[in-house]
Amino acid sequence: MGGSRMDNAARRAIRITETTLLLSALVLFIVGTTSGDTFYLRLATEALILGGLALSVDLLLGIVGLLSLGQALYFGFGAYLSAVVLKEVYPSLALSLLVVALASAAVGYLASFIALRSKGVYFALITFGLAQIMAKVIYNTRELGASDGLIGVPVLQVWTPFGVLDTANPGVLFAITLGIIGVLYAVLRYLLTTPMGQIWRGVQSNEHRLEFIGVDPRGPKRFAFVIAAIVAAVSGALYPVLRGFVSPELLYFAVSGNAVITVILGGVGTLIGPIMGAVLLTLFKSVVGTFTAHHHIIVGIIFVIVVINAPKGLVGFLAGRLTRRSEGAPHGRD
Amino acid sequence: MAATNFQASSAVLQAGGLSKQFGGLKAVELVDFTITRYGVTSIIGPNGAGKSTFFNLVNGALLPDSGNVFLEGEDITRLSPSKRLAKGMARSFQITNLFSDLTVLDNLRLACQFLESKASLLRPLKKSKIADARCEELLDEFTLAAYASVLAGALSHGHQRRLEIAMAMATRPSLLLLDEPTQGMSHADTHETAQLIAVLGEHTTILLIEHDVDLVMTLSKKIMVMSQGEKLAEGSPDEIKGNPAVQAAYFGEAV
Repeated sequence: MGGSRMDNAARRAIRITETTLLLSALVLFIVGTTSGDTFYLRLATEALILGGLALSVDLLLGIVGLLSLGQALYFGFGAYLSAVVLKEVYPSLALSLLVVALASAAVGYLASFIALRSKGVYFALITFGLAQIMAKVIYNTRELGASDGLIGVPVLQVWTPFGVLDTANPGVLFAITLGIIGVLYAVLRYLLTTPMGQIWRGVQSNEHRLEFIGVDPRGPKRFAFVIAAIVAAVSGALYPVLRGFVSPELLYFAVSGNAVITVILGGVGTLIGPIMGAVLLTLFKSVVGTFTAHHHIIVGIIFVIVVINAPKGLVGFLAGRLTRRSEGAPHGRD
Repeated sequence: MAATNFQASSAVLQAGGLSKQFGGLKAVELVDFTITRYGVTSIIGPNGAGKSTFFNLVNGALLPDSGNVFLEGEDITRLSPSKRLAKGMARSFQITNLFSDLTVLDNLRLACQFLESKASLLRPLKKSKIADARCEELLDEFTLAAYASVLAGALSHGHQRRLEIAMAMATRPSLLLLDEPTQGMSHADTHETAQLIAVLGEHTTILLIEHDVDLVMTLSKKIMVMSQGEKLAEGSPDEIKGNPAVQAAYFGEAV
């Protein structure tokens, strides 16, 4: 059966991408910490944080079928709130993550009443508009550092099996980030195995039909919107821990737009693809950035080539290759 | 008195004085109609007779200007389609309306979700035993088991219609509304679907809107003929065949 073979290939492509990422992370962690590397561990930490943002875009776009052009709102909100908690309240990562998760759920819930009134292009424009508003509000709030942002986020002490370590250690922060993004990923993967996940895919496939089988899509859509807000905000909460500062640029369209590009390059609707996309794009920008300041042009060209030749992104491309191979096998090829 | 009671209890759907206007056009005008339990009741009529409008007033896609719809004695005139489903009314679509990029099993699974509690939403699919069991039954009953993991959009037209009806039957409705189920089907598929509807009719009450008059005559226990928004006649297939007004308005053109 064509359908199921394709499904199996997609599942295998996801499995392969997961394994590749995890093994790369493990190698980087071991080599990086033993050799005392700072650069690549911190670069990979940044990639994972951006991967978390891309994950939240993919939940909405790839699973529910809603294109958000304003996920930077929640990402930036999480980053700012985390910075404030760590600086002003108590320097505990667990506390800041908890506060950010709860607060972003509330913000996402409120925003959903505005954003989910519309669909398609209008949904995209409303999410874009909401993020612009939030960016301007922060830009003009002196208490939040206005255009300068907030600096001086303290280094945190973290209890680990190896004793108390601090987040200035790039290996420690990388491991923590990997763990947190991993948990976010696992939660979304789990949700896709529930009736809720199935309804989300139903919304994307044929929302109007749901009503006639007794499923009101509004609740599940709102739930997805809130979960996406939490995923973006919790990822954002790690940003000030890595960089020691936050600035209004975190809420700008460039951040939201980059996340969408990351999702499309990695593979829409695959969840792991966007994380892989974030890792590759971050690495690529850093490497190319050492040769030329015009790396945006090259990223743009790559984006066009990928969209034309592999519209389902990296993971979709891999799944296609696996399908072709399993179809070719009986003929003795490959 | 006893007779009235019996009538009330065997009536699954009662429509009283249903009217609907679009601008100046009276699409449905004061139609009274009762559907009794089990078997197939059909509505026929020439194009523009008001069949589809009447059908939509019954299923809740349209609200009537006046009149009422009762399902099992309960007024459902203003209930939304999803509330009607909760009351036991399900429908299929004239234009195939599936989750085409989900598998057959996932389509059925979504249709069966209604049988599960809200609490099941965040538990693994495997734990939804009631919905699972119903999906298995439907795959068997509608001989779709071999296609369970095929994407709905990749099925043949006939199989898509069958899946459509299976999804409508997921909640074991007390009234099943079928909107031109054989439209666009090959002769063989039409025959197969007719058999399926006949079997379903043995334990389900079905309202059928259909263009194929031969099919309606073989399947139905009762037929309503509509013309220009009004009820022209109603009765058994034989009564309808022998009705001069019907022959003039409907069969007259065809023969």
